Amino acid sequence: MTLLKVEDLHTHFISRDLDNQICIAKALNGVSFSLEAGRVLGIVGETGAGKSLTAQSIVGLLRPPAKIVAGSVRFEGRELTDMPDAELNRIRGNNIAMVVQNPRTSLDPLTRVGDQLVRLHQIHSGGPKTASHKRALEMMEAVGLPDPESRAKSWPHELSGGMAQRVLLAMALMNSPKLLIADEPTTGLDVTVQAQILDLLRSLVARFDMATLIITHDLGVVAHFCNDIAVMFGGSIVETGSVRDVFAAPAHPYTRDLIAATPERFQMGRAKALGGQPPDLYNLPSGCVLQSRCAYATELCQTTVRNAEVAEGHFALCHYAGRLEEQPAVKINA
Amino acid sequence: MTFQRFLLRRALMVIPLMIGVVFITFMLVRIGGLDPVGRLAGPTATQAEFDSIRNNLGLDQPLWKQFSIYLGNVVRGDLGESWLSNRSVLTDIKERAVISLELLFWGVGIGALVGVPVGLRAAFRPNGRFDQFTRVLSLFGFSIPTYWLALVMIFVFFYLLGWSPPAIGRMSLLVTPPDMITGSYLIDGVLTARWDAAQSAASQLILPVICLAIVSAAPIIKQTRAIAIEVLSSDTVRYAHACGLPERNVRKLVLRNSAVPILTYIGTEVTGLVGTMSLIEYVFAWGGLGQYGLNAIISGDFTAVQGYVLVLAVFSVLVFIVIDFVVYLIEPRSELS
Repeated sequence: MTLLKVEDLHTHFISRDLDNQICIAKALNGVSFSLEAGRVLGIVGETGAGKSLTAQSIVGLLRPPAKIVAGSVRFEGRELTDMPDAELNRIRGNNIAMVVQNPRTSLDPLTRVGDQLVRLHQIHSGGPKTASHKRALEMMEAVGLPDPESRAKSWPHELSGGMAQRVLLAMALMNSPKLLIADEPTTGLDVTVQAQILDLLRSLVARFDMATLIITHDLGVVAHFCNDIAVMFGGSIVETGSVRDVFAAPAHPYTRDLIAATPERFQMGRAKALGGQPPDLYNLPSGCVLQSRCAYATELCQTTVRNAEVAEGHFALCHYAGRLEEQPAVKINA
Repeated sequence: MTFQRFLLRRALMVIPLMIGVVFITFMLVRIGGLDPVGRLAGPTATQAEFDSIRNNLGLDQPLWKQFSIYLGNVVRGDLGESWLSNRSVLTDIKERAVISLELLFWGVGIGALVGVPVGLRAAFRPNGRFDQFTRVLSLFGFSIPTYWLALVMIFVFFYLLGWSPPAIGRMSLLVTPPDMITGSYLIDGVLTARWDAAQSAASQLILPVICLAIVSAAPIIKQTRAIAIEVLSSDTVRYAHACGLPERNVRKLVLRNSAVPILTYIGTEVTGLVGTMSLIEYVFAWGGLGQYGLNAIISGDFTAVQGYVLVLAVFSVLVFIVIDFVVYLIEPRSELS
């Protein structure tokens, strides 16, 4: 059964400008994907593409002026978008766990680490406190925190960034979630620590059999870690498929540019920089969101694009999906 | 660091501060154009009388010598005698400090008890109806001159409505004050089971306390709201929501994380309110330290002014030490330093 199904999700930032005119930034424009139990999906894209916003929309963590205006998010068959907060609170941190990107500032600074783990378990799973405490120590052990007994007594400010991220992972595991959402889990950590955390995350996902949604801007993370990939640009998923298929034969011009722009390629001297501004979300062009930056764009790109299946389970949001080679690469907007 | 060492270090740091305070007040009252000699001598005094008074007060000595004598006395715990009443300044201040502290305690206490919850509630729904309503209210609290508010309250609640007793001080003239234990009529009345005195003291307290509470609550509301809004938008609260913490727990989290800045703010506000206190005490004929200081300034009673300012400085330092200690107790990141 599909664990998480996101369909045609539209999230807008609705505000008023100085003239009291309503301004709408169309931040998510019809995001759809699904995630089966036990699979790992990586969402990649540049800053402002809507990756984190997708995660926040899924678990109902949007703050005004952001608002879901259309679409559906189904988790285990239950609709999340119109669920009251009290009910969502029973799912968040319980069946859906989140790991965020600022672990040190995200933990409650006035509560000892162990007590926070126990509190989270008590809120969702209940039971005797001693059992929660035991579980907290087990999970701290599982995320590789040395000497859990004494670490449980630490204050958040006493932890290093890597340790705090491990604590967040332990928090996520406390209630045996079915879905783990990791929103840039390694941003802000040292490179060596990043690798450790990713390795840990990979082994935990396998060990606890969680479906996982990883949000990152690092294609390497996706390549080494995920089963499936979704590439986001301008609030849309422009290409999705298995990691193997997408990396072997990227069908969307943006995915091609993204892969071409990895640091390794730069070193080999074969890369071109990924250029241009992100699209103006207040004033999206009709048709393809990439058209102003795309080397292959033609008049056709100003008309509505449909998702094209280029191979089994491999979709691209492009008029020329699968036949880019026939297109001459010229910039019409240059 | 242990608490004793913390106190010791603080005490040592206070010494230069106190010398500075003594120096500045000493010089300020002397360049302030006040003429205590003329006032003491009266309009018909001869030049000889002037000179003898000047000589008695030591005002004919060079300024640095006056200062060093005064500083030496202060170090020995002698604040001198009031030039007007010839009473010991320290005794006068001791008697009146309790009276003012009582008013300050109730005023700021009620101001904080009202202001903090109101500010928090406004923060939970910024720009909501409650927030807009309290914003207007606290704007009033900010902008109304204290003495005017006090006068209007007396006019309305005593003169027009007759709900409150006349503003003639801390106790009705018809009631004998209770035996002195702490100096607060209310507490002493309760301790000695003099219920009539306690009741009279309480009813006299109501108007000045409300007045002070309004003046102190307005900035507390504003600060609490701003602090809580900042906490609400922090990573901590965002993550708490992501963990599915129920609303009740999240509010508790916000309250705990706002507590330190709010307390610190109230501490600074208390030290600032002693000035406002003078006006309130004056209007209500309260007879506390604030009124004493104001009278001393108006009449050019140099030693009394110096003693008053010095005691206020000590009071501020004490308030900050207490706040630091409370913060140390609730905030694991802090150290006593």
